[in-house]
Amino acid sequence: MNIKGSPWKGSLLLLLVSNLLLCQNVAPLPVCPGGAARCQVTLRDLFDRAVVLSHYIHNLSSEMFSEFDKRYTHGRGFITRAINSCHTSSLPTPEDKEQAQQINQKDFLSLIVSILRSWNEPLYHLVAEVRGMQEAPEAILSKAVEIEEQTKRLLEGMELIVSQVHPETKENEIYPVWTGLPSLQMADEESRLSAYYNLLHCLRRDSHKIDNYLKLLKCRIIHNNNC
Amino acid sequence: MKENVISATVFTLLLFLNTCLLNGQLPPGKPEIFKCRSPNKETFTCWWRPGTDGGLPTNYSLTYHREGETLLHECPDYITGGPNSCHFGKQYTSMWRTYIMMVNATNQMGSSFSDELYVDVTYIVQPDPPLELTVEVKQPEDRKPYLWMKWSPPTLIDLKTGWFTLLYEIRLKPEKAAEWETHFAGQQTEFKILSLHPGQKYLVQVRCKPDHGYWSAWSPATFIQIPSDFIMNDTTVWISVAVLSAVICLIIVWAVALKGYSMVTCIFPPVPGPKIKGFDAHLLEKGKSEELLSALGCQDFPSTSDYEDLLVEYLEVDDSEDQHLMSVHSKEHPSQGMKPTYLDPDTDSGRGSCDSPSLLSEKCEEPQANPSTFYDPEVIEKPENPETTHTWDPQCISIEGKIPYFHAGGSKCSTWPLIQHNPRSSYHNITDVCELAVGPAVAPATLLDEAGKDALKSSQTIKSREEGKAAQQREVDSFHSKTDQDTPWLLPQEKTPFGSAKPLDYVEIHKVNNDGALSLLPKQRENSSQPEKPRAPENSKEYAKVSGVMDNNILVLVPDPHAKNVACFEESAKEAPPSLEQNQAEKDLANFTATPSKCRIQLGGLDYLDPACFTHSFH
Repeated sequence: MNIKGSPWKGSLLLLLVSNLLLCQNVAPLPVCPGGAARCQVTLRDLFDRAVVLSHYIHNLSSEMFSEFDKRYTHGRGFITRAINSCHTSSLPTPEDKEQAQQINQKDFLSLIVSILRSWNEPLYHLVAEVRGMQEAPEAILSKAVEIEEQTKRLLEGMELIVSQVHPETKENEIYPVWTGLPSLQMADEESRLSAYYNLLHCLRRDSHKIDNYLKLLKCRIIHNNNC
Repeated sequence: MKENVISATVFTLLLFLNTCLLNGQLPPGKPEIFKCRSPNKETFTCWWRPGTDGGLPTNYSLTYHREGETLLHECPDYITGGPNSCHFGKQYTSMWRTYIMMVNATNQMGSSFSDELYVDVTYIVQPDPPLELTVEVKQPEDRKPYLWMKWSPPTLIDLKTGWFTLLYEIRLKPEKAAEWETHFAGQQTEFKILSLHPGQKYLVQVRCKPDHGYWSAWSPATFIQIPSDFIMNDTTVWISVAVLSAVICLIIVWAVALKGYSMVTCIFPPVPGPKIKGFDAHLLEKGKSEELLSALGCQDFPSTSDYEDLLVEYLEVDDSEDQHLMSVHSKEHPSQGMKPTYLDPDTDSGRGSCDSPSLLSEKCEEPQANPSTFYDPEVIEKPENPETTHTWDPQCISIEGKIPYFHAGGSKCSTWPLIQHNPRSSYHNITDVCELAVGPAVAPATLLDEAGKDALKSSQTIKSREEGKAAQQREVDSFHSKTDQDTPWLLPQEKTPFGSAKPLDYVEIHKVNNDGALSLLPKQRENSSQPEKPRAPENSKEYAKVSGVMDNNILVLVPDPHAKNVACFEESAKEAPPSLEQNQAEKDLANFTATPSKCRIQLGGLDYLDPACFTHSFH
């Protein structure tokens, strides 16, 4: 490391750093830049992506519920208090295959979007509350964070699909509002646990609904009911 | 009255209980719904387990209500699912809704209710096993053979609309094997297996599961016999590849082992250490200095014996009494001391130094050992022999102290190395000289400087300076009187390498001019030992240039056309001592060839060449 080598080394380092910085600015070819309505991504790819996301979200929700129940509420009959506790039950969602086949495509898509939108806020508060817990369960918290993230992405994808399948659909921001936050913050542990149980129970159910609906729609729209 | 009624009632009850107990009839035990399953998300079935039997026929009824409703329903189908089951048809099945159901067991004695069971069809999905599993061995001509298996989804599952999504898994094993080989097949209904053992019978099974739910049971096993000629090309290829790789590795290892060192030196060349060209440490250890120096390239060095002559030139005092010195010294080597015949002028060597009056005049005055005594190099090896009684030992010793080259007891000083008789003997000293210095040219010059100076000093210490010149003059005279003791420059008879066509002849140095030219006289072979009169200077040829050295001990001289007149030496003789000193002091070997005069040292009328300059001429 003589003095003569230092300026050369310095210039090399500078070159390397500048290259790295420039490389940062080189954006990869986007599949669908910025979620624009004029996106060139095919509907098939959009649906495939959406199905993957919905499948993933339900797996996470199911695991989160199982872990919570095993740890806090197993065998204590909390299920009895979870009846009719979901805030999305007011939505006219189909409950069997025949009903699902009778609903039209557009309404079906709107329905899915509504459910996804209605879960934005509960997920946000769920993460905040679990994070603020003393001895926050890391497994549950991490899954909650991931579910919140992926749900946002799924919503974006759904909006893209809607813009492609039904471009004339005007934005309908009506969705069921969740009001369970006070319950999550109750001082009584039993009540608080019940609130969490209900929330996770409903999340598991609705994520399964969305996954099933999207698979139905994919086969209907892309494969023409010939999956 | 009341008491009678009460007692009668109690009596009746006890009687009834007694009767019942005697009959063994009890109300039914509490049933339990233990399993609910939906194979296709369109129907589902629940099974219960009856409680203890009361001994009487028991009726079971299942009642349920659904989430968000209050109406109580009874099981629509007790048959389809088998005994103690309730089957819910399509119109009764709803997804994403909790069913709260319980079973009521009733017999004559009473009834009992099971616990409520909360069931959501969403989470109880478990399909039936796949159907129609077919397995066959396919062997296309151009490709590798494989096992091909196909199956179909279970019935009643709607895959086309996407309501239901199935994932498959297959497993197979040889008939006798213990472990199954399992493969996940995804949503496809066919599968290929490539790695099989020929000649074995395989079992194959398949199962399925919904996207979110339970795995089905394994389908019934299908047997398939793999033919014996099932060629496993993969194995052959991999075996040949492995063998080839092993062979290559062995070759590489062998090559590295053989030439590992050379390869390593090629990649990492060894750092050269300091090395003297031609220097062999081994020779140094053995003490073979002559070989060492010859390897070093001292070959071009003027012959060691001659070199000694040159060196000795400054130290020896040529005197007829020198023979006594040698005889004294020849204690160690009696044979040499008894050889006065070596005073043959032909063999007289080493006398020239003693003939130099300026240097060792005092030494030469004293009775000297026979200068022509055979000089034994081995004797010379003992510098620690100062007790040898030599008349002029002190000076020699003192010089020797400075110059180990001039060894024991002045024998060196008084000895003119006999070149012709023992040319090799004096090599020893030259090699010693070379050892002491970096280069052969430098060492003798250095030694000579010291020798000359020391000799001069020593001579001065012993004798008063005012007599110096006279002594030198006497030395010159004595030198002249002893031509036999002249330092002969012996030229071998052999052909010189310098292209001289004339036969070589032995000459003796008559004098050395100011310019350093040697005035040589033809050597008189017969009767040459006692010529008392000097040769006619005009007959002498002046050789001032040494053109080369032969045989390491013979100088080949060529005449110098620019040599000074011989007669000029007379007056320059007086200034010989200072000139000697001066010339020695300003030893510039590089200028020898250009200015031979520097090497010319006039000592008592005789010109001597500084051997140091000679040495330089050969480099």
